[in-house]
Amino acid sequence: MNNMQQQFLEAGTLMLAGMVFVFVFLSILIVFINTVLAKLAVKFPDPVVASSSRTNKKSKSKNDGGVSPAVVSAISGAVKRYRSQHGQDK
Amino acid sequence: MDSLNTLWLSTGLANFELGQVIMMVVGCGLLYLAIARNFEPLLLLPMGFGAILTNIPVAGFSEVGGLLHYIYYAGIDTGIFPLIIFMGVGAMTDFGALIGNPKTLLLGAAAQFGIFATLFGAIALNYIPGIEFTLKDASAIAIIGGADGPTAIFLASKLAPELLGAIAVAAYSYMALVPIIQPPIMRALTSEKERKIEMAQLRPVTKIEKIIFPLGVLLMTIFFLPSATPLVGMFCLGNLMRESGVVDRLSSTAQNELINITTIFLGLGVGSKLSSEAFLNVETLGILALGAVAFSIGTASGVLMAKLMNKFSKVPINPLIGAAGVSAVPMAARVANKVGLESNPHNFLLMHAMGPNVAGVLGSAVAAGILLALVGT
Repeated sequence: MNNMQQQFLEAGTLMLAGMVFVFVFLSILIVFINTVLAKLAVKFPDPVVASSSRTNKKSKSKNDGGVSPAVVSAISGAVKRYRSQHGQDK
Repeated sequence: MDSLNTLWLSTGLANFELGQVIMMVVGCGLLYLAIARNFEPLLLLPMGFGAILTNIPVAGFSEVGGLLHYIYYAGIDTGIFPLIIFMGVGAMTDFGALIGNPKTLLLGAAAQFGIFATLFGAIALNYIPGIEFTLKDASAIAIIGGADGPTAIFLASKLAPELLGAIAVAAYSYMALVPIIQPPIMRALTSEKERKIEMAQLRPVTKIEKIIFPLGVLLMTIFFLPSATPLVGMFCLGNLMRESGVVDRLSSTAQNELINITTIFLGLGVGSKLSSEAFLNVETLGILALGAVAFSIGTASGVLMAKLMNKFSKVPINPLIGAAGVSAVPMAARVANKVGLESNPHNFLLMHAMGPNVAGVLGSAVAAGILLALVGT
């Protein structure tokens, strides 16, 4: 019985120490991101991301397409005209 | 006549023991889950087959000289296989969502409560006759709550190798069950209004941040928790290969061929631990029960932490993403996204949930390091 109490005590200490440590460790990581990384981001902006305010993933996929803004605007203009004509037909 | 008798004695039929037959059925059960139910098939299929092989009488797969024996000792006993897999996971992980919203690290930390609370449960099970868990065993079982297969196998191989089979089966089964276990807990702990919360778009993350991040994590682990450096170190190596952009070939190998090859051997090696002596006992039932408890507590504490943060934060935080803190990448994040969509069909939480999700991977690696440092000596 005494042995069990001892084990519970150990488990409790482990839980407390473990949770505190995990939180402290990851909190320091937050500070690291907010200070060091944020400063680096300002100092060395990404040429791609800097031009668009979207998330990285989106801008990447946009890049992959390799379509220039001029072409995009031309296409969207054509689509708009087609849609309006299409709408009038009906 | 004599030689006929010898031939009969060398057949499987003459040598089967009941335990072996039962374990083969368990192996077939794992194969069924993998093939018919698509439960973590990449691991459960080789694991189930390994369980069948290791229980073949006479063949001696898991005895000295047998294939599975060497696979186990070369890769799992040494901890090499889970670490290689962790490198591959690192190469597959995009920390962008985490760096864009660093607060989510706290959710990854909170969800680790599942691990440490289960420690208590494992010790409490000692009241049941037939179960005797030491603190080492309890720690190895508790790590199931980290919902991270390689971490669980790594820690179990160090702290409680005799429980490895049961722990691995529990860890991977529950990871496959994340879409069933988590949603009821998430719905019970949040209100409809909270589930509808839309989150602000993440800030853009630059390439240099993504390159420095794994190095920073490694540096911190070196300073504060060297016992976690095998896991975190390999993870950061994989991640750096991905983000540096200069070794795409290595990165692609780490996240494809290498992780696949290792998964085959890891599954077989873990399966070899599913022998009747090691698996057919009350302790296995205890481990399976504790694993479910660990998962549930981890999910609940992640959600509760997110609720708390939402109260105090200026920018709204949807409590559902807290559930993704239990790693299980990317399944837990998908579950958060799905439950969120049920309440608000225009609310896509996936990217936001990836933050706590990858934070959970770091968190469980850190928790494993703590357990190794405090219990492993």
